[in-house]
Amino acid sequence: MSNNWEMVIGLEVHAQLKTTSKLFSSSPNLFGSEPNENVNFIDSGMPGMLPVLNWACIEKAIKTGFALNFTINKHSVFERKNYFYPDLPQGYQISQFEFPILSEGYLDIDQPDGSTKKIRIERAHLEQDAGKSIHDIDPKFSFIDLNRVGTPLLEIVSYPDLSSAEDVVNYMSSLRQTLMYIDVCDGNMQEGSLRADVNLSVRKPGGELGTRCEIKNLNSFKFIRQAIEFEFQRQIEVLEAGESVEQNTMLFDTNTGETRPMRSKEFSHDYRYFPDPDLLPVNLTDEQINQIKPSMEELPHEKMNRYINEYKIDKDISKIIIAEKENTVLFEQMINESDVAPKNIASCLVGDIFAFIKEKNTEVLSLLEFTKDITDLLKLISEDVISNKAGKEILPQVLEGKGKPNELVKKMGLEQVSDTSELEKIIDEALVGEEENIAKFQGGSDRVLGYFVGKCLKSTKGKGNPKLINKILLEKLKIINGKSLIFENCDKINDK
Amino acid sequence: MSDIDIKRISYLAKLKLPSEKEEFYSQSLEDIIQWVDNLKKIDTSNVKPLHNVTEATVSIRNDNIEKNNTPEDVLKNSPERAQNFFKVPKVVE
Repeated sequence: MSNNWEMVIGLEVHAQLKTTSKLFSSSPNLFGSEPNENVNFIDSGMPGMLPVLNWACIEKAIKTGFALNFTINKHSVFERKNYFYPDLPQGYQISQFEFPILSEGYLDIDQPDGSTKKIRIERAHLEQDAGKSIHDIDPKFSFIDLNRVGTPLLEIVSYPDLSSAEDVVNYMSSLRQTLMYIDVCDGNMQEGSLRADVNLSVRKPGGELGTRCEIKNLNSFKFIRQAIEFEFQRQIEVLEAGESVEQNTMLFDTNTGETRPMRSKEFSHDYRYFPDPDLLPVNLTDEQINQIKPSMEELPHEKMNRYINEYKIDKDISKIIIAEKENTVLFEQMINESDVAPKNIASCLVGDIFAFIKEKNTEVLSLLEFTKDITDLLKLISEDVISNKAGKEILPQVLEGKGKPNELVKKMGLEQVSDTSELEKIIDEALVGEEENIAKFQGGSDRVLGYFVGKCLKSTKGKGNPKLINKILLEKLKIINGKSLIFENCDKINDK
Repeated sequence: MSDIDIKRISYLAKLKLPSEKEEFYSQSLEDIIQWVDNLKKIDTSNVKPLHNVTEATVSIRNDNIEKNNTPEDVLKNSPERAQNFFKVPKVVE
């Protein structure tokens, strides 16, 4: 049914800024406190209180401006957006309207075919969050917690450049990743730190834009996907029944997976924006803006390029590491405090360490205290003190803080026998009575070498250093039979 | 009769107007707007918008927490409460 229709989507993303205090008041900007614990007289809209702007919010907006290729406006204005609802006692939300702090940015998102798609961003502006209403405790009353009132938000408004649920999820996750990298937002969607309003309309390919509906407040990738799929089908059904889509604000019901219009209001919204007389315009100097540039963290794609070019790590592995900022923190700490090849660290991280994290359901950053132990362990492997296999056995113990690698090696009896004289003795014993096989080797059979190595490993109970055994064996075989044929065979194997 | 929708304006302003006063306030508002409209006679096509007469920039503060009140202080004026929540007539979307 959807064959002849395409969707056109623009996104409004609300990102809570990672600050200590609120946008216009000195109350804590904290999630999960007791009800009304973080509310002062400004937040609760008491008469005569004056808002004072938190400079950290301007800094974070400017950082976002640099990261998302925005024009950073030197002049922006806070305005009052009037609405009457108990979650915002002052009766208006302080927001930016005509003069936002950021204009005309963009973000490149990855496409399945490996190319990128440019998503243009119209604007981003600072505004206050509202409080929280709880409707399901009492049948007749709503309960209000004003802790969230005044939390700084950056609302990032894209152009309608997105054309599938996949696009939207890619855009949203790329945006989330960037905001987390530059320390602007904690990215915690479950706690509502990042939420999206989806504006969706449908049209025939190349046709005129249809009437859009706005689905409010989606706070997980799963819900975003479900809401888009449902709303897309709903609008198609309306149109194919010969009716027209009504411009509406929709709610997404997370239980049914359906969208439905919000109860219509007697009057359409009339926000009556006007410049807030309590707040003067924000006028920034070039100096103030440029001062922030040096403090910019590396962006995800910059980090990836560095991993590939400087550390010589495969693109696919780099991509896995940069997906979450915390991975890169762990990874770079390991690189900085050891001389183990970054490639070895990277493959251990995305392999055994990630497997451990998944199995134990632990936090990536909780492993920061063991980075030195991890790289010490990798060093033991690269120096042939232990085998790769033994390393895999020891790693979980290291990650659980059960001891230092060298202690664990001894305790678990996994030290590789790399003592040449000891190995020579073992090899000599192994070759006793093997004249027939030695002759086969002489005849050019590589397989016999494997047989000998296996035999030696067995008598060391697997702890003999296989590389060394190989090397000594070849030398011994040369001495046992000094004919040129064997020399050739040995050199051939040595070259491999 | 003015084209001011006085019912809507009083609704938005949360003011209750007795119906016999509606005509009076409509007319008063109309007069005020007409008077302010005199400003439109001035040609401002070459004047930059001014958001504040002082032309000063907003005052700022550092990102620090200050707590000078308890939840009790903000809750004590509320007509109704339940524990530390404000309790209001049901408002549901």
